[in-house]
Amino acid sequence: MQPIIDATVFIVDDDADVREALAWLLRSRRLHTESFESADSFWHKIKYGPLPQASCLLLDVRMPGMSGLALFERLVERGWHRAMPVIFLTGHADVPTAVDAVKRGAFDFSEKPFSDNALVDRIEQALVHSGKVLQMEQSARDLRQRLNELTDREREVMQLVIEGLPNKRIAEQLDISVRTVEVHRSRVFDKMEVKSAVELSNLLRSLE
Amino acid sequence: MQARDTEPSAPRRRLLWSALSLLVITLLALLVWLANRFEVSQVQDRLERDASEAVVDIRAALTRNLQSLQKLQFHTPGSQPWRMETADLLRQRRELVRIEWRDSTKQVLAFLDSPYRAPVFNILGRTGSGSDVGQTCEVARRLSGPAYSSSYFVLQSDVLGLELMDLCLPIMVAGRESGFLVVSYSLQDMLSEFVGSQYAHGREVSFTEGDGTRLAIDGAVHRVGREFSAKSLLELPGNTLVLRLNSWRRAPELFPNVLSALVAALALALTMILWLLGRDMRRRLRAERELADTLAFRKAMEDSLLTGLRARDLQGRITYVNPAFCQMVGFPAEELVGQSVDAPYWPPEYSEEYKKRQAIRLAGKVPPREGFESVFMRKDGTRFPVLIIEAPLINAQGAQTGWMSAFLDISEQRKVEELSRASQERLQATARLALVGEMASLLSHELNQPLAAIAGYAAGMRNLQQTSLLSDADAQLVVQRISEQAERAGRIIKSVHDFVRRRDQAREDASAQELIDAILPLLNLQARKLSVQVSLLLRPDLPRVHCDRTMVEQVLLNLARNGMQAMDEPGLWPRLLELRAQLINVEGVQWVEFSVADIGTGIDPEIEQQLFTPFFTTKAEGMGLGLSLCRTVIEQHGGTMRFERNQPRGTVFSFTLPCAESA
Repeated sequence: MQPIIDATVFIVDDDADVREALAWLLRSRRLHTESFESADSFWHKIKYGPLPQASCLLLDVRMPGMSGLALFERLVERGWHRAMPVIFLTGHADVPTAVDAVKRGAFDFSEKPFSDNALVDRIEQALVHSGKVLQMEQSARDLRQRLNELTDREREVMQLVIEGLPNKRIAEQLDISVRTVEVHRSRVFDKMEVKSAVELSNLLRSLE
Repeated sequence: MQARDTEPSAPRRRLLWSALSLLVITLLALLVWLANRFEVSQVQDRLERDASEAVVDIRAALTRNLQSLQKLQFHTPGSQPWRMETADLLRQRRELVRIEWRDSTKQVLAFLDSPYRAPVFNILGRTGSGSDVGQTCEVARRLSGPAYSSSYFVLQSDVLGLELMDLCLPIMVAGRESGFLVVSYSLQDMLSEFVGSQYAHGREVSFTEGDGTRLAIDGAVHRVGREFSAKSLLELPGNTLVLRLNSWRRAPELFPNVLSALVAALALALTMILWLLGRDMRRRLRAERELADTLAFRKAMEDSLLTGLRARDLQGRITYVNPAFCQMVGFPAEELVGQSVDAPYWPPEYSEEYKKRQAIRLAGKVPPREGFESVFMRKDGTRFPVLIIEAPLINAQGAQTGWMSAFLDISEQRKVEELSRASQERLQATARLALVGEMASLLSHELNQPLAAIAGYAAGMRNLQQTSLLSDADAQLVVQRISEQAERAGRIIKSVHDFVRRRDQAREDASAQELIDAILPLLNLQARKLSVQVSLLLRPDLPRVHCDRTMVEQVLLNLARNGMQAMDEPGLWPRLLELRAQLINVEGVQWVEFSVADIGTGIDPEIEQQLFTPFFTTKAEGMGLGLSLCRTVIEQHGGTMRFERNQPRGTVFSFTLPCAESA
């Protein structure tokens, strides 16, 4: 398994021994960890937005102060749990709560005590997932940027191209010459960094 | 009710009373009438008698006058002596009005008038007065003796007149008629002189002619009321007069005499007595009716009672049972009344005990007022518990005639008690389970933390070993951490142990009596259900024991319940459970030993070995924790628990508890 560079695993648990043991375990798998003793202190750290690099959150359900569940609610509210998958750590009695949380978007839950490296494997999957989500979000942001750079006429032409109309028809509809349509079309293709109308269509669909 | 049948109906009774009253009134009236009639006849009789006596008197007086007149013959008529004698006679006899001397030709030779009145013949003269002296003298001559004329009326100056009657007496001188003596009688004066007050008092005496014409009357009376009349004939030579006596009585009085008064009084008394008797009878009838009503009411009350009633005489024989009792035991009243000992509703196994109880009762010992419980048998052989309340039966004279007992079938009540007790126990068990669950959850969470840490370290170390990156320092650190976490887990376990231990602080000093008293109500409930007799044998002066009361009470209850269940065998009678507490000495240390002895089936040898094993049970619904927990509790107190066979049968469980430190 390839090491995931720059990924961070946040550990939020009120029990220092557990935090330390987990950190040590993850370090043994070359994962970078950051520990927090309470949900409040973690929230204080990330309240301005999630990290730009891949990350995941190991969250104890029962904690004094803000509970793990309350923290999860806040993350879900802001949609941050997609880029930063949440894995709940639970005791036996909290399993129904954890299952419920998974249904609402948590990545997974793990029952204490954890079995060997299964938890670490799951964490790595979460980090990969996080990386993918971040990548997708990045490309979406790029696409929007490129769309913003299009002129109004170019956007009109692009819309009709996506609908699959030939240049001649586009020219008729926009009451411009076929030649002009072709110029706009090639400029849209350049700006959107695509080579065909099909590619452009896929790209825009991914944005939705 | 019979009284009501024979009781006459109201109209008939009224008819009887009317008939009786009518009879009495008729009798009374008859008696009064008879008495009255008797009196009337008496009055009439006396009147008749008086009338005839008066006639006799008149006759006698006339005869006497005749003799006086005859004496006048011896004087020369008209001579001085004759005049003197005649005047003398006229003075003496007021009834004589005039005396005349006539010759044989009836010419008046001499005469003298009564000095008491004016000469009567002055107005009309002797001849004009209508008297027929000649005829009378003829009669006298013919008779050769005195003759009387018919009466005749002579008018007088005072308007009234006089009714006179002449007497002609022939004067015989030497056997030859020489003349006549004519004497005029006044009838009126005859009556007043002859009859006199002797007969005339309150009466009217009169002379009448044969046809009833009144000639003279004497004795005017107040004519009020009923007239009585009696007549008697006065026959004189030449004339016949009728003497009539009239008498008036007031309207007949209600009680004319003592006899009728007495009769009336008697009749009244009789009526009174009859009335009193009637009233008495009415009262008696009313009392009887009220008594019958009361009896019917009582009977209805007894019949509608759900409480069984039974009366016994002083010999113990049943004299009365009510329907509720019959229904309770299932025997008809005929099969019960008259029975004595070994009543059909006594369960045979309790017969001896009940006989004893009855003997005590018959000896006069008063049972507890709140009643006592017993077991009876129905006709079909099923047993049921009853509450018996007995009281002496006192008759109207205040003497005890037996015992009255009231019975309540308390099997339903028992069932309810049983149910509530069972649900109580279930609730307690549930609560205990909930507590255990809570503790288990807490424990698992707490233990998960160190275990998770240990697992993390171990997995991490294996990872490093695989990649040969494990440094000695890392390995040392990790092992250190792992042992720390193991210690932590140990501490958690210990804290749970401490929690259990904490009950030690709940220990207090309690006496054996207090411990047993606390479980006795629950114990008795079960004992009644299984018909077990529980006896307590507590040595006096036992020292108090130091223990967790709740736990030890549970142990006692558990053992007692086991013992009772061991005796729940059909046909096992009697069922006795004995709770004992005594002081024992083990190697110089004083202990209080509690024992629970049953006489049940005992314990199989192969089961004995497993008796205290947790989760081992012989009961269908048991969990098998009872005895093992009991032993744990006792051992926590520092005592021991053991069991042995009871003699002749059954099992004895014993445990020891330390004595409280003497203060």
